[in-house]
Amino acid sequence: MELTINWYIALSAILFSLGALGVLTRRNAIIVFMSIEMMLNAANLAFVAFARHLGDLDGQVLVFFVITVAAAEVAVGLALIVNIFRSKKSINIDEINLMKG
Amino acid sequence: MGIFGLAPLILFLPLIGVLFNGLVGRRFVDYNRQTGEKWSGWFASIMALSAFAIAVAMLLGLQANEFHAEIVVLFDWIHAGDFYVPWAMQVDTLSVTMMLVVTGVGSLIHIYAIGYMHGDPNFSRFFTYLNLFLFFMLILVTGNNYLMLFVGWEGVGLCSFLLIGFWFDRVNEKGEPMNANAARKAFVANRVGDLAMILAMSLTFWTFKTLEFQPVFDSAVEMFESGHMVHFGLFEASLGGVLTAITALFLAGAAGKSAQIPLYVWLPDAMAGPTPVSALIHAATMVTSGIYLIVRSNVLFEIVRASHAVIPGINISSPDLVAYTGAATALVAGLIAFTQNDIKKVLAYSTVSQLGFMVAAVGMGAYVAGMFHLITHAFFKALLFLGSGSVIHGMEHGHHHISHGHHDAHDDFDPQDMRTMGGLRHKMPWTFRTYMVGALALSGIFPLAGFWSKDEILAHGNDHNVIVYYVLTFAAVCTAFYMGRQLKMVFFGESRHEAADHAHESPPTMTVPLIILAVLAALGGLLNLPFLSEPIAEANHHHAGGIWLALEGWLEHSIQAFHLSEEGIIHLPHTPVVLSPLVAGISTVLAVGALALAFFVVYGKRPSSATDPDPLQKTPIWWMAVLPFDTLYMKGIIPLFNRLADFLGYTIDWDLWHNFFHERVVRDTFVGFANFASDVLDRQGVDGLVNGAGQVTRWLSSGLRQSQTGYARTYALSILLGTVALLAYFLWPVISG
Repeated sequence: MELTINWYIALSAILFSLGALGVLTRRNAIIVFMSIEMMLNAANLAFVAFARHLGDLDGQVLVFFVITVAAAEVAVGLALIVNIFRSKKSINIDEINLMKG
Repeated sequence: MGIFGLAPLILFLPLIGVLFNGLVGRRFVDYNRQTGEKWSGWFASIMALSAFAIAVAMLLGLQANEFHAEIVVLFDWIHAGDFYVPWAMQVDTLSVTMMLVVTGVGSLIHIYAIGYMHGDPNFSRFFTYLNLFLFFMLILVTGNNYLMLFVGWEGVGLCSFLLIGFWFDRVNEKGEPMNANAARKAFVANRVGDLAMILAMSLTFWTFKTLEFQPVFDSAVEMFESGHMVHFGLFEASLGGVLTAITALFLAGAAGKSAQIPLYVWLPDAMAGPTPVSALIHAATMVTSGIYLIVRSNVLFEIVRASHAVIPGINISSPDLVAYTGAATALVAGLIAFTQNDIKKVLAYSTVSQLGFMVAAVGMGAYVAGMFHLITHAFFKALLFLGSGSVIHGMEHGHHHISHGHHDAHDDFDPQDMRTMGGLRHKMPWTFRTYMVGALALSGIFPLAGFWSKDEILAHGNDHNVIVYYVLTFAAVCTAFYMGRQLKMVFFGESRHEAADHAHESPPTMTVPLIILAVLAALGGLLNLPFLSEPIAEANHHHAGGIWLALEGWLEHSIQAFHLSEEGIIHLPHTPVVLSPLVAGISTVLAVGALALAFFVVYGKRPSSATDPDPLQKTPIWWMAVLPFDTLYMKGIIPLFNRLADFLGYTIDWDLWHNFFHERVVRDTFVGFANFASDVLDRQGVDGLVNGAGQVTRWLSSGLRQSQTGYARTYALSILLGTVALLAYFLWPVISG
């Protein structure tokens, strides 16, 4: 059985959906964060798959950008989570609803 | 301009003296008493003498200018709408006459004061005040408008206050600060007259729209000739009525400054000041400013006389009221002078009495006679005061001598009490001789100055107002009597106290001014000799600028004489001096008689000792002189004044003005408006609009607000759904097609 591009796309879609589901349903900020990482990596997988399929390096270049941005995002996001934990003694994102209208 | 450009110097030279003595004089005196006093005193005296030189220059300038008045403008003082007041000097024959008297007599008194004030701890302060007085007095006489006159008027009042209270720390036996009290009394009594002056000036400006002398007089004459009414907004009044009010208020002002009934009470107390001050301010110059004011305003007084306007209620025209006030003051003060034992108080009441003569003269329209008496009185009364100062000086030294020898201090000794004097003619020969000249001149003995000036007033009285003539003749008899009494008690007979035995003559700085003044008092009559004025006027008419000019012709250039004819006013160019041989004869005989009566009969033998009662004591004349006016003043005028002040203060000011007008009318109206603005306009109007806009927004947004849950996943979900919807929208054609 040959691994066609469709398999990669399907895996990428499944991973992205799992990530989105995690972001929408989980309460723990770390888990939400990990889910976001999973969505980013699902997108990376699609980029790489298409790059291979099309014989074009642009997709692979973009993956590096995404990894870089993800790293920056982790740094900022984890710092936010640590500070929220310090003030609220919890990282349950349902308790962080200051923006409620 | 020429020589008149020097005119401002007459003001600024005394001012330089004020600065010198006020700022550094004290250092000179403290550094070295002997030379410091010379510097301080002579600097002030030289400033006064220089001012006199300027006055002489003005005299010569006027002569060259054919006696035309010259206005020297220093600068504009007030310029607001219609209200224009320059600081300008009017150099005319009247003001130059006053300048000469003020600076001439003033200079002599400055020099005298160097000797008199010797050793005083505040030597330079005294000369500061004296020069300041000259400055303000010269502003008074040189101003070309009523406001400048008033500046000087207030300034000399201030200097009078400062100098009466010069020894403000002296207390009497009851511990009261009598000198400070006397100063306050003078200041407050003058304030009453000053209020009248302010009202008169306001009314003058309201009527004539200017305060400058010549424009006021010109428009008054013009209005009188055209017969127009004076308009005050909605009201109108006759010119005669308005001028009656103005001139009556001028009289009240003059009564304050020139010590006339009922405001004369301050002048006798003013003798608490040093004697040179009594001579300069309270005899020769400041107290004559009321007479100057009336002479200066002669046009207004004459228009009142010509328009036959009378003061409602008493039916006397205001110039007549001036004459009666003066005559009554002359008589009353002359009578009170009988009863005084203080050498200076006698002279003080005499001054009040002589000022009464002058006021009576100007009230009768005899302006030149009034000015003539003003000048001669300045000579002989300054002489008498300085002479009395010399006597007091001598008595103090005599007392000092005996208390030094015996070591028993006569604390109750009063060096001014005439009962302790007597026989001083041998101890103080020059003081005696000069005093004698002054006393005879004051009594009106031929041919001394007082004879000519007083008889001119009496002759005018005989012609124009017989009541005034009789009263003044009687006052003149009183004058001779109290001077006879004083001469006898001070200089003749035997000494009645040890101090008088040891009295000695004063230093030359004091006696030389006395001698100069004695010469002036003797020859002052030459200024306006009746039989000379006609030929001199004639000669001057032909040779304009001639140096010899009788006072009559000289003052004519400033004093406009009016005579009402059928066509209106005509100006009379020349009114010769009158000498009525009958009047002069009667008054001389009466004066000699009264002098002799006092000298040989009443005071011939008594008082024989310092404690011997006065021969007139317990006689009706004594009580008549002492009682009525003190009693009237204490029981009548003061309670009336207090009740009026209570009424004005409590009823008018507090109840009506403050409580009703301010609280009810002004404050309540204001509070009402403020409440309306705050409650209705601001809270309900402006705030309602702003709050309404907010509430509408809040109401509109209440539904949408539900979407902002604050949960991150809600937002994430909406982003996801949005992305899916967008993808579906864009991909739908691809999938379906």
